[in-house]
Amino acid sequence: MKISLTVNGKQYAHEVEPRMSLTHYLREVLNLTGTHIGCDTSSCGACTVLLDGVAVKSCTILAVQADGCEVTTIEGLAQGSDLHPIQEAFREHHGLQCGFCTPGMVMTAVDILQNNPNPSEEEIRHGLEGNFCRCTGYHNIVKSIQHAAEKINA
Amino acid sequence: MKNIDSDKHLRGESLYLDDLPTLQGSLHAMVFASPTAHGLLQKLELEEARKSCGVWGILTARDIPGENQIGNIIPDEPLFAEKEIHYRGQPIALILAESREAARQARQKIKVEIEEFPAVTTAEEAFEKGMFITEPRTFTMGDVDRAFAKCAHVFEGKTFTNGQEHLYLETQAAYAIPAEGDQIKIISSTQGPSQVQKAAAQVLGLPMHKIEVEVIRLGGGFGGKEDQATPWAVMAALGAQLSRRPVKLVLSRSDDLLMTGKRHPYSARFKIGLDENLKILAYEARFLQNAGAAADLSPAVAERTLFHATNSYFVKNARLSVYSCRTHLPPNTAFRGFGGPQGMFVMEAAIALAAQKLKIEARHIQQANLLQEGDRFPYGQRAEQALARKSWETAYLHYKADDLCRKAEDFNKKHEYIKKGVAFMPICFGISFTNTPMNQARALVHVYRDGSVGISTGAVEMGQGVNTKMLQVAASCFSIQPERIKIETTNTTRVANTSPSAASATSDLNGKALLKACEQIKKRLLKTAAKELKTNPQKISLQNECVLIDKKDSGLRWEELVQTALLQRVSLSETAHYATPKIRFDKKREKGRPFSYHVYGTAIITAKVDGLRGTYQIESVQIAHDFGKSMNTAIDLGQVEGGLVQGLGWMCMEELAYDKNGRLLSNALSTYKIPDLFSVPERIEVVPLEDEGHEAAILKSKAVGEPPLMYGIGAYFAILNAMRAFQSDLEPFFNAPMTPEKVLTGLLKKQVKNKPLHVEKRQIG
Ligand code: FES
Ligand code: FES
Repeated sequence: MKISLTVNGKQYAHEVEPRMSLTHYLREVLNLTGTHIGCDTSSCGACTVLLDGVAVKSCTILAVQADGCEVTTIEGLAQGSDLHPIQEAFREHHGLQCGFCTPGMVMTAVDILQNNPNPSEEEIRHGLEGNFCRCTGYHNIVKSIQHAAEKINA
Repeated sequence: MKNIDSDKHLRGESLYLDDLPTLQGSLHAMVFASPTAHGLLQKLELEEARKSCGVWGILTARDIPGENQIGNIIPDEPLFAEKEIHYRGQPIALILAESREAARQARQKIKVEIEEFPAVTTAEEAFEKGMFITEPRTFTMGDVDRAFAKCAHVFEGKTFTNGQEHLYLETQAAYAIPAEGDQIKIISSTQGPSQVQKAAAQVLGLPMHKIEVEVIRLGGGFGGKEDQATPWAVMAALGAQLSRRPVKLVLSRSDDLLMTGKRHPYSARFKIGLDENLKILAYEARFLQNAGAAADLSPAVAERTLFHATNSYFVKNARLSVYSCRTHLPPNTAFRGFGGPQGMFVMEAAIALAAQKLKIEARHIQQANLLQEGDRFPYGQRAEQALARKSWETAYLHYKADDLCRKAEDFNKKHEYIKKGVAFMPICFGISFTNTPMNQARALVHVYRDGSVGISTGAVEMGQGVNTKMLQVAASCFSIQPERIKIETTNTTRVANTSPSAASATSDLNGKALLKACEQIKKRLLKTAAKELKTNPQKISLQNECVLIDKKDSGLRWEELVQTALLQRVSLSETAHYATPKIRFDKKREKGRPFSYHVYGTAIITAKVDGLRGTYQIESVQIAHDFGKSMNTAIDLGQVEGGLVQGLGWMCMEELAYDKNGRLLSNALSTYKIPDLFSVPERIEVVPLEDEGHEAAILKSKAVGEPPLMYGIGAYFAILNAMRAFQSDLEPFFNAPMTPEKVLTGLLKKQVKNKPLHVEKRQIG
């Protein structure tokens, strides 16, 4: 099937298998490997991207479902050398270790702060419910998002 | 200093194995594994699968040119099953196809007939049947039987701690690429590149120098990729050898869960004896380790259980034995703590039982028995720079433990259905591989003519921040900007015969080797500078990219110095070797000085239990930890928090389940629950011990990878203490993880006996 979509501001058109997931499309066709696969069964959140501005687990979306949509992946977040405030905060507050869950965490955080610029700790936790991290114990991730919110609102 | 990979991680630019661009002509591999835990392979039908679209071929044991053997400590693990099947998930064949999808479709067409035998899944059953991996081991100190006879109180009990799935977010993966002639390059997501190299050479029938193993980074390891990254790397290499095409093998999450081993479940019996003053006079424990179907690292894990069986306590008379039992589960393997946590849990259970029976708080027994300077461990080593008491006291004072306990009591008086429990968890963890020869490392340093520096060591970056620490070591030695330094991939052609990145010792071993190499180069550079500046080398030093004479700027810069050295034909490269001094262990006597040093700490854990639902929350974990002189507080604190949460997961919620036929029931992230954002403690506080650090630790910054995991053990006992607040005569049970179901049934046991009440306090309230 033919699809055309915008990924990180760039237009693409491709012929894809109907059962190809959006994750595989991004990783294998567009070579955007920042979107990771931790489970492939919608449990871990490592594959989270923004689809028309909303965080989705790209392993549960078919590439064809993204036809006509706008997708933002982790690679599309920074503006050149300037990191997005959320990325900056993760760096500053050590919100990562092995980094494998990080892209999914950051993309989910973008969605959280879009909908709620001033989330409480509880609300951040709720927002990240579908994202697993095996390394950090989460505290620094929550802290990073709190700091990012402060910075964005400042 | 921030983790040097942060920027790449955050931009999605870091390359994990599966992110590597796929070379043209690459094949994708998929493993066909046994659907049965125990039996004899009668028939394997591959024809239909071979004909499946896009299949290059299917490999079995018969295609192996070398030996069908990948066992590390003991050669008891074939790469592919030939006749006997030892566990469900044991690899039988490898499908090579043009795409993952084609491989998957072919896999469904493979038919296998196995004559099935009953499976043994528990250590107890294997013990009864005499199924062992190796000889049992026993550590003894003092006269245990006599000491027990003198005890005022003796208690006996049994425990079980379940296994734990590593759940590194990046699954096992390897990519093998044929090189000139019959050489193979393997890129592997392994903690042990040299082990992969050795096993691949053996299976492929090649000398080790024809196999190059490279590791970029791991998306988590936790021990799960120490030995168990090997089969997949070897399979990919075999595929590349036979097809002469690159072969990528990435396990799907479900294959990874099915085919790889976990933390070892342990069943144990203990006997503890105390005198009137609560001094532990005698302790005896017998551990049954569920090793799974092959040795893997189990004998070494079993050994560490004994090393840590008395935790931070001085026990004058101890008899500790461990049996490594062979069962029909996937071979269990290294997992952060490496058997130590299983040993410590039993000691803490023994103390908790004694406390319950004596109607006192466990902390009184714990405190009375903490190790002091010079005390002997059952394996003969004396405690040096012992910080057991200091960490206890620091935690006690810093977190106002008396208030904390009083507040919990007050809370419990006021609340009928919700109770709090506080537990103390001191830890003492030995640093070094207990297999002495493994305590060595090498480093290779190149200073390039533009002043930039490239560093290779045997350390594998898996999130623990070792690359950042290595960079710090070099930057501080040369006194140059971190940007000048690059940490290269871990590669067996640059640094050979490496020990795996494990045992918390990676930074110490590789850092010390690196420091030696840097110092050698620096010495030559100082001499060059002295010659250039016409002074003597003692007067020269490097600071902030400048050469100083008698601490004053000489005007000579780092880049110029390097240039000058090159022109004067001074070597700008160095390799160095480090072997941990002063360690030894005699396995015949089971005595020695196996550890370079110990890491200490104490955690205070507060849990809140809902007696009607069995649910609980870990409210806070307050830790006094022995970092030595931390060289990177952000990274080290991250290790403490992450390790702690993993320990909590093991103790509280991660429930590994196999049925009696050896079928993994917790076979997805939906059925195997790791800590999420809601199950982590509401508060984690960490205070560092004021401490000199240890000479044997890199820059006196002590190893930090594994020890904090064991703080998690305290959560079990905090919950148990809260249950005691519901029922003062609660019969304690030691069966981890303490899931809400177990809390509820534990509380219900007595209610059923005495009929209708929910909780004891209801009568009063
Ligand atoms: S890979 Fe999509 S949720 Fe895990
Ligand atoms: S940083 Fe490793 S999984 Fe989150």
